[in-house]
Amino acid sequence: MIEALDVVLFLVLIAAAVLALVTKDLLTAVAMLTAYSLFVSLLFAGVSAVDVSLVEAALGAGITGLLLIAAILATTRRSEPRPDPRRRYVVLPLIGLFLALMLYAATGLPDRGDPDAPAQLGVSQIYLSQSLVDTETPNVVTSLLADYRSQDTLGEALVILTAALSTAMVLVRRRDQDDHAEAGDGHDSDHAGPAGSDTGGDDLTSTEGDEAR
Amino acid sequence: MLGAYPSVVVRVVSAVLVPFLLLFGIYIIAHGHYGPGGGFAGGGFLAVGAILPRITLPSELAYRLFPTWLGPVVGGLGMLLFLLVAAAPLVVGGALLDYGAIQVAGLEASRVRYLGILAVEVAVGFAVFGAMLLIFDVITGADEAVRQLRPAANVEEDRR
Repeated sequence: MIEALDVVLFLVLIAAAVLALVTKDLLTAVAMLTAYSLFVSLLFAGVSAVDVSLVEAALGAGITGLLLIAAILATTRRSEPRPDPRRRYVVLPLIGLFLALMLYAATGLPDRGDPDAPAQLGVSQIYLSQSLVDTETPNVVTSLLADYRSQDTLGEALVILTAALSTAMVLVRRRDQDDHAEAGDGHDSDHAGPAGSDTGGDDLTSTEGDEAR
Repeated sequence: MLGAYPSVVVRVVSAVLVPFLLLFGIYIIAHGHYGPGGGFAGGGFLAVGAILPRITLPSELAYRLFPTWLGPVVGGLGMLLFLLVAAAPLVVGGALLDYGAIQVAGLEASRVRYLGILAVEVAVGFAVFGAMLLIFDVITGADEAVRQLRPAANVEEDRR
């Protein structure tokens, strides 16, 4: 863990997150989120959490970006303008309050790698010392996920598959209703497409005006 | 978005990448015991290997390599494998997912747990692969793409 590199990574993360929120072009926002995941995975690797880093790079930066791009291509590329610009006067203080609360809570956390931290005093000692004897698995993370705590993994796999199946149930078009639904869909998207991009363009100029002020 | 990408460079590079992506996915799943990896990341790589042909190669080729039924079927099989592995110790009087309770002649309990972990990782890899492929196919409306291809596919079968 190199301090200077960490600072740079955190700055890049904040910049990517802010850009993803500010931009009106959703494809740019997805690219920013993918970059965010990639840099988060670098941070994870920096604190020796290589397993988490690999999953973040594969699922967070890879698949999630791909699915979001697929969703954009199926819908629209421009984000809708905000309904009420006064909303920010409520949202920004709320974000500030939440940030202050989290920073305050973080002061009570033990140092990273502290041997006297509560998380290190419980069953984790047994897991660490017995993993190789019990399961012949040198990688403790794997033996934790798939053996000691495999019920959690069972639940995760169920959640992922349930999510995929419910997505399919909502989005898939039935063959017998196909022509009807397709005609309706085509009409809707034809209307929404140009209208959405027009308002998006208007909004882009208006926000530029706001920033200029 | 689906179908052949206009640039030949992109088409060739992704066609070359696909087998290596799949191999890397299998490696990540199988190598979880000894290094970073496991079912979730490996299944993600496998899914990318199946999705990449869909957005870069000609549709008839991509959907013959990885048909749309692969998503729900492989995902379901993975979940079934996980549930079977989870329920197996119950038969011999152990707790749910306690693979060590299964007595196998010539294998120590720790070795059985090692193999149980491998089976669970493979099952999770299948489930993640199937789920991701299913979500992608549903969002992109691959159903339609396949139906447009069907006449061509029938011609192919007639030739054989």
